[in-house]
Amino acid sequence: MRVVIIGGGVSGLFTAYELWKRGVRDIVVLEEKYLGSGGSTRNIGCFRSSFTSPEHVVLMKRSIELWLKYRSELNLQLKQSGYLWIARRPETLGVFKKLATFHWEYSVPTRVLSADEAEHIQPGLNKNIVAGALFDPTAGRMPVLENLVKLYLKLKSLGVVFNFYTKVIKLNTSNYRIKSAITNRGEIEGEVFVVAAGGRGTRGILASINVEFPVVDETRHPVITEPYTEIIKPALVIDWDTPGSPYVTQTEHGGLIFARNISDAHEAPLNSHRIDAIAVTIKPLVELMPALRHVNILRYWIGYYETTPDHHPVYGPLPPYENLYIAAGFSGHGLMMGPVTGELIADWVLNGKPSIQIAENLTIERFKTGKLIKEIAIVG
Amino acid sequence: MGEEVKRPIIICRCHDVTLDDIVNAIKAGVDNFEVLRKYLRIGFGPCQGRSCVLLAARIFSRLSGVNLSEALSEYKVRPPIIPVAARVLLAGGEK
Repeated sequence: MRVVIIGGGVSGLFTAYELWKRGVRDIVVLEEKYLGSGGSTRNIGCFRSSFTSPEHVVLMKRSIELWLKYRSELNLQLKQSGYLWIARRPETLGVFKKLATFHWEYSVPTRVLSADEAEHIQPGLNKNIVAGALFDPTAGRMPVLENLVKLYLKLKSLGVVFNFYTKVIKLNTSNYRIKSAITNRGEIEGEVFVVAAGGRGTRGILASINVEFPVVDETRHPVITEPYTEIIKPALVIDWDTPGSPYVTQTEHGGLIFARNISDAHEAPLNSHRIDAIAVTIKPLVELMPALRHVNILRYWIGYYETTPDHHPVYGPLPPYENLYIAAGFSGHGLMMGPVTGELIADWVLNGKPSIQIAENLTIERFKTGKLIKEIAIVG
Repeated sequence: MGEEVKRPIIICRCHDVTLDDIVNAIKAGVDNFEVLRKYLRIGFGPCQGRSCVLLAARIFSRLSGVNLSEALSEYKVRPPIIPVAARVLLAGGEK
């Protein structure tokens, strides 16, 4: 059985890995540019399971388990140093208590902290404007570029075939089956097709067979500094009470990455730089940690949150087609979900259903039935 | 390449990437210059690639057979080009 995976990023690679582990030997990955050239190499490398919907919490918890397993199996780098959500307003602590109670139901051990306790975890916080915090010790971060290349080299050594600079123009169907993918470099046949080509990529490919995938690529503008010794102790420090949830993380190489959801045109081109984004992003974080005003900004880039109407991914089969599956629309969480994505898509391809039942809520059917995923609190 | 020199040959001075690191990554199967750059962080440091990217691209081109302009086709220069202190950008005002 040949499985054709469209999309050479985190989701496609983990799907290939999981299928290979379960005995599939003919796997072809098609990528329109180079390895991970979409969201997979534009994200900030962080992960957590402390989400606000049961679907996200359950799947992300499993994904972290798998990341830890793959850390030894694939010699990946990752560290669980926690997420620290900062509350500026005292009433936010009530929301945090509600969230912590919800997380504990799923054995995710978040806890509410006083300003002093938060400053103990992240020295240098301006306690005058901090009311308290929520801390998730199981969250963490990783050098994403290095890990992705390690996974790629492993897959190549296992015999997975990669075709780069191969753009799928349309899918060729017959009797509700996908027969082949027509690409800029010819036609590729297969028995099973998985589309994991990000937001616009997936949307365009599915439009060729009249399947509507509701997604929009929200433009983001992360900023990185020169390398410093360790300044940011947790994986991520997030300013909950400021619009756009600004946050800062520090990479394994020392660079501080700042990002914030600022208002911008959706699907702005990769070269539509906005120099004003830098000041807007760092200002609230400098208020929280005044010493940050002295860091040197080195570079900024554009990436996308490939966002669905309920900010959750779309997984599983794409009826009426019998041999077509989707893993896309991660709404900013595709890297962290990578391993569980691979597991679930392999389940669907080989067993017809996911091994984690709650994942069935994430099929594309929900946009027809109106059963969108509900969150107990909206974050940023 | 570089055998006549008996010490590590630094290609990327910001991240201490050596000639051996580059040769080993290409031998291990890294087959795209942008992926190589991201894997080893060539051009990610304060020089932003001014001293290393062309050197590394030439080495990649020679070892992989990919021509130089193709190797560099994905490389982008990103603002603000030289490091700028956060306080300077903040003084510029916010909308």
